[in-house]
Amino acid sequence: MAHRKKVLLKVIILGDSSVGKTSLMNQYVNRKFSNQYKATIGADFLTKEVTVDDKNVTMQIWDTAGQERFQSLGVAFYRGADCCVLVFDVTAPNTFKSLDSWRDEFLIQASPREPENFPFVLLGNKVDLEPRAVSAKRAQLWCQSKNNIPYFETSAKEGLNVEQAFLQIAKNALAQQNSAVDLYNEFPDQIKLTNTQKPSGGGDSCAC
Amino acid sequence: MHFEIMDYELPTNFDVVVVGTGIIESIISAAASRIGKTVLHVDSNNFYGGLSSSFNLESFLKLNIEKRKSICMEHSSLNDTETFFPINNSDFTLDEVTHQWNITNKNKNYSDEENSAQEDIIAKEICAKKWLKDDLLKESRKFNIDLTPKVQYARGDFIELLISSNIARYSEYRSITRVLTWFNNTLEVVPCSRSDIFANNKISIIEKRILMKFFTSLDDNEDLIIKDYASKTYKCFLTDKKLSKNLIHYILYAISNSTDSTLCLEGIGNTKKFLKSLGRFGKTPFLYSMFGSGDLPQEFCRLSAVFGSVFALDQPIHGLILEENSFKSILIGKQKIKAKNFVLGLNLTPDFFLNKVKKKFISRGVFITNKSIMDSDNEPLTLLLYPAENDKNPCTVLELPWLSSCCPKDTYLVHISCNQINNPEDDLKHCVKNLFTLNEDFKAFKPLIFYSSYFSIPTNSDENVNLHDFNNLFICPGPDSELDFVTAVSKAKELFLKMYPDDEFLPRAPDPEEIKWDGDEEPSDIAQ
Repeated sequence: MAHRKKVLLKVIILGDSSVGKTSLMNQYVNRKFSNQYKATIGADFLTKEVTVDDKNVTMQIWDTAGQERFQSLGVAFYRGADCCVLVFDVTAPNTFKSLDSWRDEFLIQASPREPENFPFVLLGNKVDLEPRAVSAKRAQLWCQSKNNIPYFETSAKEGLNVEQAFLQIAKNALAQQNSAVDLYNEFPDQIKLTNTQKPSGGGDSCAC
Repeated sequence: MHFEIMDYELPTNFDVVVVGTGIIESIISAAASRIGKTVLHVDSNNFYGGLSSSFNLESFLKLNIEKRKSICMEHSSLNDTETFFPINNSDFTLDEVTHQWNITNKNKNYSDEENSAQEDIIAKEICAKKWLKDDLLKESRKFNIDLTPKVQYARGDFIELLISSNIARYSEYRSITRVLTWFNNTLEVVPCSRSDIFANNKISIIEKRILMKFFTSLDDNEDLIIKDYASKTYKCFLTDKKLSKNLIHYILYAISNSTDSTLCLEGIGNTKKFLKSLGRFGKTPFLYSMFGSGDLPQEFCRLSAVFGSVFALDQPIHGLILEENSFKSILIGKQKIKAKNFVLGLNLTPDFFLNKVKKKFISRGVFITNKSIMDSDNEPLTLLLYPAENDKNPCTVLELPWLSSCCPKDTYLVHISCNQINNPEDDLKHCVKNLFTLNEDFKAFKPLIFYSSYFSIPTNSDENVNLHDFNNLFICPGPDSELDFVTAVSKAKELFLKMYPDDEFLPRAPDPEEIKWDGDEEPSDIAQ
């Protein structure tokens, strides 16, 4: 894909409410953490330039914007994802049990070309907290059963493993984009609306 | 889908509760959330968009049976001072959706003995790929079939709103490649831009000059036009301008999307709107959103959520509770949820507030075909404005190639719509007959229909709503028969400003990089 202009990777983060999706994203991109968790207001997507295998890519990380709370993420959210990050809270076993549902939901809604090979990454977050309810072993077993999903234990609060996890995410997203002959990325002439065009038409009715 | 953790309980106190996720409801939701109001946005469907939604092929095939059960309501939870208005849960009823397959699971050409190489070559020319019903079903997820397809004028109010509010960052568009009309029993390309006009070999050089002059003259003499043509038709105006029959056809039926009875000023307005939108993003004035029109409400909902709205689909919404002279709460499941304002889709509105009038509908046809209605070197997105004919209304035909991400490669998805007269099949049959063929061995060059569906979309405007002076209920009309969302935008803005007269309607949302991420604010759950 030598002709690809600029590599943009869309990464979406899924998991139950308050497992730390926004915090992980914020820690990774802005190196900030806030305990004062204000239900994901204003969190939309964050972008970060990363270098993967000597290649500069832009990673666009999409937050659920709280729409996961009542399982109300629309199909538009999932469009064109290159990697799906699943997050659970290692101190809350229910958030671990939901992982199957989130994975299924992703596969149904995003309908990737090769579902069995689509890159997921699992993050067990809040390892700084006690008591631990889901062991690393249990999480790893789950990952093995799903075609060897990479697993990271993270703490968004302490910045533990966050950088490493997202680097892996970028890597896998890029691999997915390169391997899958992803039709959507080959569409020519997509239009992103901007207001750089002149605001008024006037006599400018010539299409050149 | 079974989730272990279910946050079943909705928060119970909001500034605004929005019911229904059609485009107008979604715009209002975003606008209220954007200015810091607390919003609960619910839908009884398990998908966004209501009658503006899009579906993959499998879900689309099931639409007919997905009628909502009416929900029983428990009156026990009401006080003496409260009056209950059940919402109209006949919501998602698309009447009589028909599905016809014109291909089978067995390919007779290949299962029969292939005795004629000649025939095989012709078959290949007509249809590069042989599709079976199962093949199409396997590609179900590649389909995004709009219930109510919309194109947008590049400088229309909807696109301007997307840009000014910064919601445009969620979406990608494609330019409509060409605008066609049906003239003298054949398809003609409508000359859009100056270069189009000069490249057109159907109109003479003199006509070209006249047409250019006409376009540039529209801005002049406005007062004179208003005076002389206030009650006359656009057709009359064009005829008086001594335009040829050709030109009148292009301008009246295509460029201004008008009919013989369209009034002059409206026709001029439409023509200007068309011209103004040329050259901004593409060769024609029109844009179509990738993945279908059904993503558009979701983009407004996303912005609404980003600013803190609570979203809950698939909710058992029972009705509104009136106390004294205003609505106090809404009953969802067993929860009574309080709000200062209620925004409701017209299709959900309690019968009490609706005058009994005859319902209006859009007749809709959906077709999966093997090639474009007019040959082209690339894979075009085509808008055909098919003029009124005898006793038939004008039809809007939108033909989408796979590039629109609404159908798989080697197929075309065609939407036809018109204001209903009799029933969808009858209203559209002349158009279908002229454009397509059902016969696989047909050696003419019309596209072959693999699959077709007909249904009706109700289009009730809010003119029949009588709110009886209850001033905290806001009713959003359903889909309309406009090409674009211009009416939806103005309606949403009007209702929003009624609710919050002193606030700005959808000011630009900050880019993610501009958001402050400090933890200075007090910890609080915004919805409590």
